[in-house]
Amino acid sequence: MSDEFSRTLVLTVPDWPAVAAAVEHGIGPGRPVAVLHGGKVIAANAPARAAGITAGNNRRAVGYRCPEAHVAVWDEEADNRHFSAGVAALEDLVARFTLLSPGTLAIPLDSLRHSCADEAGAVETLVSALVDDTGWEFFPGIADTVFAAVLAAGQARRVEPGQTVDFLSAQPITTLEYAGTEATGLIEVFLQLGLRTLGDFARLAAEDVSARFGAFGRHVHDLASGRETVPLADHVRGEQLEVELDLDAPTTRSDTLGFLARQLGADLLAKVRRQGLVCTQITIELDAAAGRSSSRTWRIEDMQENSIADRLRWQAEGWLAGGAAPRGDSRQEPDTVDDPAPDVEDFSEDGIIALRLIAAELTTPIGATRSLFDENTGQITHTLERLQGLFGPDAVLVPGLQGGWDPAETNLWTPWQQAAVPERSPSAPWPGALHAPRPTTVERLAVDVLAADGTSVEARPSGLEATPATIRFPTGQTEAVTDYSGSWPIESGWWDPERAVYRTRLQVVTDTGRALLLSKEHGQWYLTGRYC
Amino acid sequence: MSAAPVVEQLSREMGISTAAALFDQIPPHPVDPVLSPLFRRGGLPRGELVTVSGELSLSCGLATIAAATREQKWCAGIGLGEPAVSSIADLGVDLDHFVNLATPGEDWLRVASILIESFDIILVDPGFAPSASERARLLAKIRERRMSLISLRPLSGSTEQIEITDTRWSGAEHGRGRLQSCLVRARSQTGAHRFLLPGPSGTPTSVPAGTLDVPAETSDAAAGVSTTQTGTGDAETADDPRWSTITQLRQVISHVG
Repeated sequence: MSDEFSRTLVLTVPDWPAVAAAVEHGIGPGRPVAVLHGGKVIAANAPARAAGITAGNNRRAVGYRCPEAHVAVWDEEADNRHFSAGVAALEDLVARFTLLSPGTLAIPLDSLRHSCADEAGAVETLVSALVDDTGWEFFPGIADTVFAAVLAAGQARRVEPGQTVDFLSAQPITTLEYAGTEATGLIEVFLQLGLRTLGDFARLAAEDVSARFGAFGRHVHDLASGRETVPLADHVRGEQLEVELDLDAPTTRSDTLGFLARQLGADLLAKVRRQGLVCTQITIELDAAAGRSSSRTWRIEDMQENSIADRLRWQAEGWLAGGAAPRGDSRQEPDTVDDPAPDVEDFSEDGIIALRLIAAELTTPIGATRSLFDENTGQITHTLERLQGLFGPDAVLVPGLQGGWDPAETNLWTPWQQAAVPERSPSAPWPGALHAPRPTTVERLAVDVLAADGTSVEARPSGLEATPATIRFPTGQTEAVTDYSGSWPIESGWWDPERAVYRTRLQVVTDTGRALLLSKEHGQWYLTGRYC
Repeated sequence: MSAAPVVEQLSREMGISTAAALFDQIPPHPVDPVLSPLFRRGGLPRGELVTVSGELSLSCGLATIAAATREQKWCAGIGLGEPAVSSIADLGVDLDHFVNLATPGEDWLRVASILIESFDIILVDPGFAPSASERARLLAKIRERRMSLISLRPLSGSTEQIEITDTRWSGAEHGRGRLQSCLVRARSQTGAHRFLLPGPSGTPTSVPAGTLDVPAETSDAAAGVSTTQTGTGDAETADDPRWSTITQLRQVISHVG
């Protein structure tokens, strides 16, 4: 039914980490390369495998089997950077492609329908273009779902439309490792349960899988049964959500770009969140001053500003590396006329001038997180978000405490679902802080504290000059003081004029039975709290 | 056909309940043991409007909700200005289950009607008195959701009224000490009460034996509350929930007939 719709071409470079390591260290294609991660081989290129190196070997085993092999430590950044640079050739050929992981990319086949006559032709065009450009070996795979296409690419085969379920059911259960690192634990369990193929697993009832293995189990079950995963099916695209940043001066520095990208990413995610959505794929566009631009779509599992910034950095580094050699030449000989690639030289000289982040795929969040022990938290969230929508985010406040002497300072009201940022440490000692009972409301109202003869009461470090008799409010209303506490001064930060605090505090009880907290600063009495 | 679904539907839609169910339907929200004598059923009634008025009404309201928030009940404050978080915590409120709405005073009814949907308790200082029809709708919604609304000003339609009549702060000693505690006299449907709010630790505390003599105003307390608060003049019946049910039944009958 939806075979036309989601039919996907996946191109993968076998043993990508080994290929990337070879590129990174400038090793020729004929030499064996093994990549270690956590002391174990995770990838080895064809010559190394021919020498007997397999995944899971340790460094010593590699040395025994193939002493001349180059052993590199896995470098995720290099993986991403080189791949992102290498697939630049695709940009001229396809409208949209997604980098699933370093070494693997997906292209929706319907985007190729207009440029290529059939699937085989499309694959041939793309693969030959990529191989010409990079010299890497690409394995194509076509199937009705992205997951099946990834598996098909591992075997370089094309699954006929509608055959995807049969194809998947014959695959061994260990292929679930492509679903993510979390699946490793599940694979062991499935093997113990006697489930040898994806078909065995897919035949289990979805409810049972969901009950036993939770949301991730259901996700894996969907993959194994050839159903498209929820995020792709739930794709919501009400409007284009994008953020843009024009740089003041062109830059080629990846740390500057990473820093800017983090802020920009936070802006975009905030924008997405305001729509009540979740972003699962992001398109990063970079504009060079010379007018060229680079655009990539990345799929990020845990979308955060940091992960966005990393992707942007990788993309920029890969792109800039394309013009790295001419740039080095031009620095040494700025007046050289026989520059091999003037356009590349221009661009690398100027650097990147604008960044753009576009939320490429938006989905609705599965639901607000609930705690098992809280009653109707989801409804509370819904209600409070509705109120925030009506009255602004700052209208719904949750309480928190921070350091300080007076209630006005210890108050930390934070808008609902925002991270509380205390300005003052609550664990630091606050000598002179107010003890319980404390006022219930915080005020800031200039008042006059008058003695019996009508003069203002002065405060000295040793105590009050006169007995307070009346409090006059700005409205002109007065209240007689029936009782008052001792005054106690606070002096802090005298070493720093910015933070210097000197004030005297006084609790009074008025003839109406009200208790008030007063404080004198810079010669003026303030009503700072009410016991009400 | 059993009558139970019909009764359930009536009670949900119109607030009509059987007399037996009225008193033992749903247990009230728990309150601090010091404050529980103020309430007829020993706790904050659900599905009803309670008013707390007088000096220190905010402290009293916060102290009332404290035990419920510690049992994971959500509470919201409307129109309270900027409450001091330290005193909220002192009064025993679980800060993780308290939300303060800094909305304009004239919107309190609208905000409350949204919060009623999911919150267990709302503490409100109403910015204006609702009209009779707004009040009826508000009360119906409170009853339907089985939540508690505490108003810090007298509002008609309330089933329990707590009025703080006298506050006496101690500890200041005319410049020699600082405020320690406040002796509060309050009147409610259950009579006159004395307790310390806030006590020396900030939480409500019962009065230590033999501290101060209470003036003999217990006898006129209950009657005084009824006449001042309900304003209907019919003191015996107006504050009885059964009476309001009967009134509503009559209204329904007159509507239908």
